Amino acid sequence: MIDRSVRTDTRGSARVSGWISRVPDAVANSGWPRAARWRITNFGLVLGLAVTIVWSVIGAGYFWPGWVWLGLVVPFAFLRTVRRALRTQGLRPLAVHAAVSLELGATGIFIWLMGGLRYFWPIWLILGLVVTFSTHAWVVPLFSSDRERTLEERVDVLTRTRREALDVQEAEMRRVERDLHDGAQAQLVSLGMNLGMADDLLDTDPVEARRHLIEARTGAAAALADLRSLVRGIYPPVLADRGLDGAIQALVLAVPLLVEASIDLPDARLSPPVESATYFAVAEALTNVVKHSNAKSAWIQVHYGDGTLSAVVGDDGNGGADRNRGTGLQGIERRLAAFDGTLKISSPPGGPTAISMEVPCELLSPKISPS
Amino acid sequence: MRVVIAEDLALLRDGLVRLLSAHDFEVVAAVEDGPSALKALIGHRPDVAVVDVRLPPTFTNEGLVAAIEARRQLPGLPILVLSQYVEPLYARELLSDGVGGVGYLLKDRVMDVGQFVDAVCQVAGGGTVMDPEVIAQLLVQRARDEPLTRLTNRERGVLALIAEGRSNAAVAAGLFVSEKAVSKHIANIFMKLDLPPSDDDNRRVMAVLAYLNARTTHQEK
Repeated sequence: MIDRSVRTDTRGSARVSGWISRVPDAVANSGWPRAARWRITNFGLVLGLAVTIVWSVIGAGYFWPGWVWLGLVVPFAFLRTVRRALRTQGLRPLAVHAAVSLELGATGIFIWLMGGLRYFWPIWLILGLVVTFSTHAWVVPLFSSDRERTLEERVDVLTRTRREALDVQEAEMRRVERDLHDGAQAQLVSLGMNLGMADDLLDTDPVEARRHLIEARTGAAAALADLRSLVRGIYPPVLADRGLDGAIQALVLAVPLLVEASIDLPDARLSPPVESATYFAVAEALTNVVKHSNAKSAWIQVHYGDGTLSAVVGDDGNGGADRNRGTGLQGIERRLAAFDGTLKISSPPGGPTAISMEVPCELLSPKISPS
Repeated sequence: MRVVIAEDLALLRDGLVRLLSAHDFEVVAAVEDGPSALKALIGHRPDVAVVDVRLPPTFTNEGLVAAIEARRQLPGLPILVLSQYVEPLYARELLSDGVGGVGYLLKDRVMDVGQFVDAVCQVAGGGTVMDPEVIAQLLVQRARDEPLTRLTNRERGVLALIAEGRSNAAVAAGLFVSEKAVSKHIANIFMKLDLPPSDDDNRRVMAVLAYLNARTTHQEK
């Protein structure tokens, strides 16, 4: 059973097709107003009765008004059943098919009746209708199960990546809370204490008061340094200032290695969450290079094309990078997966290593250029 | 000395005005966003300016952009840039005109009033003042860089202190050597970095720039 909300599109290929399914409910429910319908029904009834009376007055015989009745009833019944079929939720094409088949079969039997109950030819019509309907009914679940499978896989991926994204966020918040608690908050308490003590001692022991003031100033400086490194970990200011391009250049400047960076990004700003995920991914990859690779030089390539942001971090070190060793690469992978991004690792023993990342990403309006 | 201040947070702006006024600076303008900072810098041509990196309207690096633009129009206009964090990338951009009269400091440094006022005066006098944090961020990676590999460890230490804007005497005191030895180190540094003979201030700026300029970062557009 396919829920109609599926039609509002997901990134996957699951999309319910067929024009009948796409008939909006409004159209299926619309039609002539009730009064007009009554008038037409009444007109039909009067016309049918009139010809039947004429038939009986002129002496009965072959019941020819039957054909008039047929002409009146068929369009009416046809409209009514198809409209009702269109109103069914799910499997709408099958319902319409059934309605039309019933209509055709009934019409056939009526004509056979009018023709004088000879050889029951409508059996062939009915047989044909039954066969086509059965085929239809057999084929529909095949297709829908295919769609359902695609949808199920997509839902699985979304459920997993959403949970992971939330886990990552939760862990980040905890880290920030802990860092603030143990860092800046504690430092401000001690700063306040030093100021209070200086205040107390100002008149009696100015030398000691001064010592406390100096300590307070040192404490304030330490608190600021702590906050600064915390802020860098949450969202590097240079990324806010300059976007991915400038942030990666700044990253390159801060790494104790020769790094060749080639960055080819459009003037328009990328979506900030993707920028930030890619930035942290590149930063993590570079950190790995510095920590584990023994590389003499590294290179970064970042470029955007066809709605995809790709970044490669390579080095000429030992190789042997493995996503199952340590949490760094897995962290990158999880972070990128939240945006349907992927991570590829090529790192044979002896090197070189290349970590490639790809994230689908849309462009925002042109950035406010700093220079 | 006439000074222009650009800082968007009223608390800090008023603090800077008070601090500098107390040290015999004449604050001719205290503005709070990028465009008016540029206007004040060009209009007042102050003896020195103190500019915050992050300013409205974009709250990115508006102040830095205004400082660089003002110095493009008025080369050598002394500007001290303040920020909550320092980026070697920005330091390089500030110094890239090679003229001097530039400072780049963490806001934290304001807490040491004496040193901060010294830094403002040095920038006003055409000197270059880099935050020790910028230098620290760069120190780790210098080992493999050309042409800085040609410098001895002692020479690199001297260069780091020059970058912070210290005078020969201050460098000598910091490294516990004689001023004469410092002069010799500095001459060696200039020579090894292939800096053309010019006035000493300018060569100091160039040396610091070389210090910041190690990375080969190229962009394809």
